[in-house]
Amino acid sequence: MTSRVPSPNPVRLLLAIGCLAATSATEHRHLDIQVFDQRGLPLRDAVVELARPAGDNRPLVFAWRNAMAQRNEAFVPGTLIVPRDATVAFPNLDTVRHSIYSFSRAARFQIDLYGSDQTRAHQFAVAGTVALGCHIHDHMKGYLRVTDTPYAARSDLDGVAQIGNLPEGTYAVTVWHPQGTGRDGEWHGSVRLVEGRPNRLTIGTR
Amino acid sequence: MTGAPSRSGWRRLIRHAPRWLRSARLRGQGWRGKLEVRVSLHIAALLIAIMVLTVGVADYGLRLYAFSVAERDLAASAGVLDRNLAARQDQMRSEAEVVSRDFGFREAFALSDRKTLQSALASLADRTHAGAALVVGLDGMVTASPGTPPVKGTALLGALNAGRNGGLINVGNHLALGVAARIEMPDLAGWLVLARPLGPRDLAALTGLSGLPIDAGVTDLAGLDPTLAGFEPGTIAHHDGPGGDELVRVSALPSLDSTLHPRLVLRYQLASATRAYHSLRVALASIGMIAVAMGVFLGSRLARGILLPLGRLAVATAAMARGEMVRVEPRGRDELASLARSFNAMVDAIEEREQKITHAWLHDGLTGLPNRRFFQEKLDRAVARRADDSRILVALLDIDDFRLINDTMGHAAGDALLLQFAALLQGAMPGAGVARFGNDEFGVVLDDIGPARDLAALVDELARKLTVDVDLAGQIVPVSASFGVAVCPDDAQDSATMLKHAELALDRARADGKGTYHFFEATLDEVASSRRKLEIALRHAVRNGEFELNFQPLFCPALHAIKGFEALLRWDHPQRGRISPAEFIPVAEQSGLIIPISEWVIRDACRQAATWPATVAVAVNISPSHFRVPGLVSCVVSALAQSGLAPHRLELEITEGVFITNFDTTLDTLRQLRALGVRIALDDFGTGYSSLSYLRAFPFDKVKIDQSFVRDVGTDSSARAVVRAIAALADALGMETLAEGVETETQYDALIIEGCSMIQGYLISRPVPGTEVAAVLARYDDPAAISAVA
Repeated sequence: MTSRVPSPNPVRLLLAIGCLAATSATEHRHLDIQVFDQRGLPLRDAVVELARPAGDNRPLVFAWRNAMAQRNEAFVPGTLIVPRDATVAFPNLDTVRHSIYSFSRAARFQIDLYGSDQTRAHQFAVAGTVALGCHIHDHMKGYLRVTDTPYAARSDLDGVAQIGNLPEGTYAVTVWHPQGTGRDGEWHGSVRLVEGRPNRLTIGTR
Repeated sequence: MTGAPSRSGWRRLIRHAPRWLRSARLRGQGWRGKLEVRVSLHIAALLIAIMVLTVGVADYGLRLYAFSVAERDLAASAGVLDRNLAARQDQMRSEAEVVSRDFGFREAFALSDRKTLQSALASLADRTHAGAALVVGLDGMVTASPGTPPVKGTALLGALNAGRNGGLINVGNHLALGVAARIEMPDLAGWLVLARPLGPRDLAALTGLSGLPIDAGVTDLAGLDPTLAGFEPGTIAHHDGPGGDELVRVSALPSLDSTLHPRLVLRYQLASATRAYHSLRVALASIGMIAVAMGVFLGSRLARGILLPLGRLAVATAAMARGEMVRVEPRGRDELASLARSFNAMVDAIEEREQKITHAWLHDGLTGLPNRRFFQEKLDRAVARRADDSRILVALLDIDDFRLINDTMGHAAGDALLLQFAALLQGAMPGAGVARFGNDEFGVVLDDIGPARDLAALVDELARKLTVDVDLAGQIVPVSASFGVAVCPDDAQDSATMLKHAELALDRARADGKGTYHFFEATLDEVASSRRKLEIALRHAVRNGEFELNFQPLFCPALHAIKGFEALLRWDHPQRGRISPAEFIPVAEQSGLIIPISEWVIRDACRQAATWPATVAVAVNISPSHFRVPGLVSCVVSALAQSGLAPHRLELEITEGVFITNFDTTLDTLRQLRALGVRIALDDFGTGYSSLSYLRAFPFDKVKIDQSFVRDVGTDSSARAVVRAIAALADALGMETLAEGVETETQYDALIIEGCSMIQGYLISRPVPGTEVAAVLARYDDPAAISAVA
């Protein structure tokens, strides 16, 4: 599968700004969910997704760029959350060429060897986990988490995933980690969000 | 252990051997048998012990060696197996890893395209010659090529998750060697597992065990014999297995299957290993037994070789002890032969010595003639076998004056004379038995003399033959012999009596003179026995003081006074009464009793004379015997001292016979006596040897004229002439003369006319006892008595 770079749609852009403005009028709520593994240690690079509440029509877009770069024979960032149907760029910022592949059910593709002077992209139409590897560099591993919900964040070093703009309430949560012991690495549960109070989730990891 | 006889059997033999030895000793077969058996048994026991020890040690050593070889082989095999397994695993793993990395393969896996996967696995299994290729998912789900026996994936998860990539797994129900390669996409999505079955042949090939008696087997711990399971893994242990004694090494093999605990069991059949040494052991045992047999045989041969000659020697020695002279036969050239030869030499020497001793026992050393003992035996034999009508003659001979010749010419000459005489004697009577009894005494025995033979003529001829001149060291010496003859059965019936009678006859012959012989007369025996009786009586008399001194006065006509008394010995025998000195003096002289008698006479004479007036002396006769022994001078000295008698009052009368033997010592004694002041008178002058030189040799004080001259002086002019001569001679030499045995006045007158200074005889007085001496003196003091004489 090959991809080509689409040109930005000005209309869409304006619409995005408008939505942003609209939502900014309502209350911001930063909700922290702290993820721990079964040993009690903070779990980093876990993806926390909260299911869209009913009637929510927040646009599926994230603050970060949908790009998985390769630098120093490693995928940067190691874990990337991308919206469904997003086209993710794979810039090669490395001095060597790479050949990316994935056997994941969510996306099965491979990119032939390309160098730093080139970039490639692929569209991910299925939600789920995409494990990326490099044909010639066995140690290169990267993960794309293709998600339906905008309410997704990656846990940092402290295991804290900051998810904003959600009212208090109970939400269905999915926590994914590469070593997660649940099916496909996903942990499903529900969480009751209370402002100002961090929410702790413990998932099992290998 | 199979094969050779057990060690316990040998030990039993050794324990019982001493008992057999002891019983062999008790089973007395004569000393030779015992010793031989003992030696053989000892050698046998020693050899058996040595061989048993050797075989035992060799056996043990072989076993140890076989053991160590087995251990080495087992350890080596185990090591080889480990390395081969690892090598095979590495190879399989690299093949698996190639496939697990393959994109297509991973794609097929990701697609969960089971069919594709299975065919890919089948192809892989073929390619790698593995028995099975399968994929194990993270959940333990197994995808395998069709036809693969079932594998429990969940059992492998533990090992796989732990990261182990090699080990044994259960394929179907068979053990297989498995390797796992991670399937990464890029996360671990599963494992590709290749498995190769481990059959016995594979194991054998793996362990490189062709030819060695090692069985290799891999079994799960569960299916392992509990004994084997109990062994510490990696160590070699002894095990009595179904196949016999064996060495076993159990070691653990890595396993991917958590339910599987495979054990590699290496068995080493010791029986086959020791089989190789079995023949060696048999050979050793055979050598041992042959050695024992040979040793026993040789030992017994050797023993016999020593013991037979020893036995013969012992028998010979025992015979020797009994007195038989036995020789042994030396066989061979070894020490025993030389011992036998030495033994023979010893026997020879003993025999020779015995013969010499016997000879010396029976023969005289100087002349080689038989000695008295032998002579006696011969005589006994002759007497025993004498025929009724035959006679035996025994003559005992004495060489006349032998002592004189010995003294004057020396002992060498005397010995030469004896030798010559012996030869003479032997030649004189051939057929007679000749013997030397000792000193100068010889014996002759002649037997089987017919009744008609003239014995006197025989003896006479013998006497003639023995009267010869012999050349002794250049000097011609006349030799003659006196002999006494006794005849059997006339004079005696047994040898002892014959000898005694011959001896008596010899005594008589000696008394008769030189060169004479005398036949035995019965009277001689009587004479001899009476003489012996007298001798005994004399001894008694000496002890008991039965002697008495009588005194006969010595009258001096010139002074008409008695100047002295001659002491005469009288003996009153308790039974026989008075015995004349003529009878007992010779016996005293012969027996040597004369010495104590003489000493007593001197002492008593001095004692009695001391009581007489000082003008009266006492004259004592001294026997020549007394001069032959030392002590005369001291006797005189002590007698004089004891009595207090003045020496000049003692007069010693000696005969010329004193000079015959030892002239010089006699002279010396006389001088000593004279030095004391004692007077010496020469008695019996004119008879006997009458050597005038004796008168010159010593300054006698007195010469006594023998009564044989005095008897005829009255009638015979020649007798008067002799007396006149003696008186003149004596006077010229300054000696007194005394005439003995004066009985008549005619003799008295004649004697005075011829110049005799003193008179002694019955005319004056007969000998009187000491008590009457004073009376006699008194009588001659009386002038009337004197005139009666004058």
